[in-house]
Amino acid sequence: MQAKAKAIKKKRTFSQWLKSRDGQKVLIITAFMVIPLLLLFVFTYLPFGKMFSFSFYDMKYVGQRKFVGLKNYVKVFTRDDCFKALGLSLYYMLGAVIQLGIALYFATILSFKTRGGSVFKGLMFFPYLINGIAIGFIFKFFYTRGFVFDTVLHWFGFNLENLPYWLKDQRINNFSLVGTSVWRYFGQNMVLFIGAIMSVDSELYEAAMLDGAGKFQQFKYIILPSIKTIILLNVILSISGSLSAFEPPYVITSGANGTGTYFVVMHEIAHTQQKVGLASAMAIVLLIIIFIATIIQRLLFKYVFVSGEDDNPKDAIRRERRLNRYLKHKAHRR
Amino acid sequence: MKKKNVWALLMAAVMTLSLAACGLTNTPASKTSKAEVQASTSKEESTGGADTADIKVPSYTELNLDDYKDVTASIKFIHHKTDRAADGTMDNMVAEFNKEFPGITVSMEAITDYAEDSLLRLNAGNWGDIMFIPAVDKSELKNYFMPLDSYENLSGVLNFVDAWQFDNICYGIPYMANAQGVLYNKAVFKAAGIDNLPTTPTEFLADLALIKEKTNAIPLYTNYAAGWTMGAWDAYIGSVSNGDDTFMNQKFVHTAAPFADPGDDTGAYNLYRILYEASQNNLIEDDYTTTDWEGSKGMLNRGEIGTMVLGSWAYAQMQEADSHPEDVGYMPFPITVNGTQYALAGGDYNYAINVKSSDENKLASLIFVKWMTEKSGWCYNEGGYTVVKGGKNPDMYSAFDGCSVLSDQPALAGEETLLNDMNNESELSFNAGGNAKVQRIIESAVTGSETLDDILLDWTKAWNAAQKELGIEVKY
Amino acid sequence: MNFIIRLKKVFFITLKYLSLCFFAFLSVLPVVSCLITAFKTDQEYNSTNVMVLPHSWFNFQNFIDAFTKANMARAFLNSTIILACVLLISTIIGTQLAYVLNRFNFVGNSLIRNLFLFASLLPGVAMQISVYEIMTKLNFINSLPGYIIMICGTDVISIYIYIQFFENIDKSLDESAIVDGANYFTIFYRILLPLLKPAIVTSCILKGVSTYNEYYSASLYLQDKKLYPTVATSLYTFVGPLGSKYNLICAGVIISLLPALIVFICCQKQIYSGLTAGAIKG
Repeated sequence: MQAKAKAIKKKRTFSQWLKSRDGQKVLIITAFMVIPLLLLFVFTYLPFGKMFSFSFYDMKYVGQRKFVGLKNYVKVFTRDDCFKALGLSLYYMLGAVIQLGIALYFATILSFKTRGGSVFKGLMFFPYLINGIAIGFIFKFFYTRGFVFDTVLHWFGFNLENLPYWLKDQRINNFSLVGTSVWRYFGQNMVLFIGAIMSVDSELYEAAMLDGAGKFQQFKYIILPSIKTIILLNVILSISGSLSAFEPPYVITSGANGTGTYFVVMHEIAHTQQKVGLASAMAIVLLIIIFIATIIQRLLFKYVFVSGEDDNPKDAIRRERRLNRYLKHKAHRR
Repeated sequence: MKKKNVWALLMAAVMTLSLAACGLTNTPASKTSKAEVQASTSKEESTGGADTADIKVPSYTELNLDDYKDVTASIKFIHHKTDRAADGTMDNMVAEFNKEFPGITVSMEAITDYAEDSLLRLNAGNWGDIMFIPAVDKSELKNYFMPLDSYENLSGVLNFVDAWQFDNICYGIPYMANAQGVLYNKAVFKAAGIDNLPTTPTEFLADLALIKEKTNAIPLYTNYAAGWTMGAWDAYIGSVSNGDDTFMNQKFVHTAAPFADPGDDTGAYNLYRILYEASQNNLIEDDYTTTDWEGSKGMLNRGEIGTMVLGSWAYAQMQEADSHPEDVGYMPFPITVNGTQYALAGGDYNYAINVKSSDENKLASLIFVKWMTEKSGWCYNEGGYTVVKGGKNPDMYSAFDGCSVLSDQPALAGEETLLNDMNNESELSFNAGGNAKVQRIIESAVTGSETLDDILLDWTKAWNAAQKELGIEVKY
Repeated sequence: MNFIIRLKKVFFITLKYLSLCFFAFLSVLPVVSCLITAFKTDQEYNSTNVMVLPHSWFNFQNFIDAFTKANMARAFLNSTIILACVLLISTIIGTQLAYVLNRFNFVGNSLIRNLFLFASLLPGVAMQISVYEIMTKLNFINSLPGYIIMICGTDVISIYIYIQFFENIDKSLDESAIVDGANYFTIFYRILLPLLKPAIVTSCILKGVSTYNEYYSASLYLQDKKLYPTVATSLYTFVGPLGSKYNLICAGVIISLLPALIVFICCQKQIYSGLTAGAIKG
C-alpha cells in the first residue's frame, strides 16, 4: 500500500505538488529567501570575492588590469603608511576601555534610585544619535584654538598659554579624536549595561541589602558577575571597532597630521590614489586580522562564559558563598 | 540533493543579477545609438579630417555660435569653483549665456574636494555633461570625453590647449590660464620696510622674518587645512624654479634626483625649503589645522597676512574679499635662475564634455564651452592670462615685465601618460592632488620630526622606485 | 560613629551627583555650544567669544540661511523617501527570512545563518571598495532606488533580532493554524507578523538611526549633491566656501539633529530596549 501511495505521489502533476504541503513549503522557502539571499550575495559575497581577486591585480576602477600576484600584500606589510597606521588603533582601544569603564560606572549608578536619572541617561545617550558629519563639524568647532574647549577650560582656571593645540599637536591629536569617539558611544554602552543590570533578579539585591551589603559589594558580587557576558561582548566589539576606526579622523581631520587610521589610509589609496588592488589587499589583511581576533576572543569568551554563566547553579552558589564569606568577615571585624 | 537546491538558488540569483545588469547597462547604450542614426540622417555634413569623423556635433572651430541660437537642451556642468558659485558669479554668467541661448538650461554643481570627488564621479559615468578634467590617464581621455577638435585647429585660435591633447586630438579647453607667482600685501611689505621684492628663497625668508618682526601680519599663510592649497606648491617645481620649460612634462619622469639641492638657491629643493624653514621659524599661521580658506582672502586683503603662494587666479578673489583691493599685489616667484626670474603660464582646469551624453547635450555643451571661453569674460575677470589668442591680459601682469614668461612644453609623443603613471605609482601626485606630501613638510618642520632632507630623500626614493617599477629610463 | 557613616554617605552621594552632572555637562557641551553659536549674527560671531550667549534667542536667520543654502528641503525629502523605503523593504525581507530560517528545517539552513553571521563581521568601509565597482556596473550610482537597495542589502542585525524573536513565539500557534487549513503565507501574514510588532519597532529604530545618519556610503553613491542630498550629506555643503561661518554651520548641524532629537524624546523607551535587544544577540 505504501508503494502504491508513492506511485500516486510520483504521478501527481506539478500543480498538484505545488498545492500540497511539501510544495507549499518549498514555495514559501524559495519565495521568502530569494531576495534576501540575492541581496546578501550582491552586496556582501560578490564584493568580497571581487575584493579578493582585485587584491592580486594592479588596477584602477577603469582601464587595464595587470596581474601582480602577491605584490600588493608585500606592499601592505612593507609600506610605512599601511601597517603603521594600525598602531593608531591602540589609541582607540585605550579609548574603548575608558569608554566601557565610564559606561559601567554610570550604568551602576543609574540602575539604583537616582534623582533625575532618566534625564541624565537621556543627556548622556543623545550623542549616539548624531550623524558623523555633524560630529565632524561640532568637534572642529570644539577644538579650534580659543573656541569651546579652550574657553571652558579657561573657566576652570586653565591658562590658554599652557593649553596644547588639540588637533595640531601630534602628541595630543589622536587623543582628541578618541575623545570624540568616547563622547559619542559611552552613553550607548551605558544603556546596554543598564538593560543588562535591570534583567538581574531584583530579589538578589534585596537579599543583599538585608544582609547589609554596601553598594560596592552589591556591584562586585551581584551586578558585575551577572553582566559579565555583555561586558565581554562589548570588549570584543570594541577591539574590532578599534582596528577599523574610521569616522573620527575621516570627518574631523581628514586623516591629516598623523591621524590617518588604517581605514582612512585605505580609503585614500582606493579613492584618491585609485590603487584599487593595493586597497583591496589592505582590506583583506585587516579582515583576516579581525577574523583571527574574533576567533581568539570567541574562544576566550567561551571559556570565561562557561565559568561565568549566570544560570550555572554552581556559580550562583559560589557567588553566594563568597558574599557570605565577605559579610561574615565584615561582621567579625566590626 | 538539497545542497544542490541551494546552489540552484544561488545560480538563479546570479543569473537574475547579471540579466538585470545587462538590462541596465544596455538601455542607455542602445538609446544613444538610435540618436546617432537620427543625427547622421537628419544632418548631412562632412567634417573632412579623418580624426573628426566620429564627431557627430561640429568641432570647436567649426561651430559658429550664431547658427545655433535656437538649440534646446538641458545640460549639467560640474566644477570646483565653490567660491564663485557661492558669490553668484556662476549664476550671473549662465544668465548672460541664456540671453543668447534661451533654450539651453544649464544646471551647475560646485564640488568641494574636486580633485578626488570628480575622479569618483567620472568612474560612475553619469556625472553630467561638462566637467573640468581631473587627473586621468591621457590614454583614457577618449573613454570619458568627447573630442573637441584637432590640436592643429584648436591651437590656431586658443592658447594652452596642449594639456589634454592625445594623438593630436584635444579633449579639453582651459577656462583660464595662470601665471605662477606669489600673492602679497603691499601695505604689509611697506610696513616691514621691504622696498625691493625678494628674488631668491633666502631673501624671501629674510623678508618673511622682517614681516614677523615689524608687523602683526602672518608672514606666510599656508592654508594647510584646505589641503589643495598645499598641492598648489607643486606648480612651481618646473620652469619657475629651474627655468627649464621641458622639465615638467618631459625630463621630470626621467630625472634620478629631481629634489636634490642644486646649491644655488634654485630648484624644487629650495622651493620647498621656503615652506619648511618658514614653518620651522613660526612664520606661518599658528593653528594651521583649523584655518579656513575663505576667511584667509579677507585677511590678505586687510593686511593680516603678508604672503600666500598661489596662482594668479586667486588675485581677483583677494581683491574682492574686503575693502583694500589696492593693497593686494602679485609678484614673480622669488627664485632666480642665472640672473633671470621665470614665470610659468599655463592653463588651469580644462572644460571637457561627456562622451556618453546624448548628441543634443553634446552640441549644447560645446556651445556653452565655446561661449564661456570666448564671450563670458570669465578668464579676464579672474585675472587670468588670455586663453583666446590675441585677447587682453589684465594689468596685474605688468609685475612680470622683468621676467621671462614660459609655458611648459608638452610631453614627447608616446610619453603622454608617463607623468600620470609616475604620480600614481609614487603616490606623490605632483599637480594632481598630492596635498598630503606637502602638508608633511609643515608637520615635520613644526614638530621637528624630520628634516627637509629626510623628506625629500623619501620622495626621491619613491620616485626612483616608481621609475624602476614602470621601467622608465633614467636619463638626467 | 553614626555621624561618620552619615558623613560618608553624604560624601558619596555628593560624589555621585557631581560625577553625573560633570559627565552630563560634557555630553551636552559640544551641542550646546553649537546651539549658542547658531543664534549669533555674523558680526556677533566675529566679535564675541564662542561661549558668550547670543544677543537674541530669536535670531533664526542662520537657520533659514542654512536650510536654503544646504538645500535641506530636498535633503529632508530624500532622507524621508530613503528611510520609508528602507524600513519597509528591510522589514518585509527580514521578517520573511527570519520566519523561514526559524520555522523550517532544510539543508542549508545553518549554512545561510552562518553566511549572514560572517557578513556581519565584514567592516562596511572596507567592503565599499568593491561594492563601489558593483554599484557602478549596475548603474546604481546617483540613483535613489539603487542606494535604497544597497542599504537594504547590507542589513544583517535586524534579521538576528527577528530570528531571536521568532524563537519566543510558540510553534503550536503555527501548528494549530495548519490544522485549520491555513497555508504558510496566511500563517505568516495573519498570525505571526502582528505578533512580531515589538521586534519590528526595535529593528526599525536601529535601522532608522543608522540609515538617517549614514554619511560615508551616501556621499559615495549619491554623488550628485544637488539632486540627491540626504540630511547627512547636505551638511557637506558647509565644507566649502562657508567653512568659517560657524554660526551658519552650527545652525545646519542643529537642524540635522532635530529629527533625531524629536524621535528620541518620543520613543526613548523603545530606543533603549531596542538597543539592548539588538546587542544581546551577539
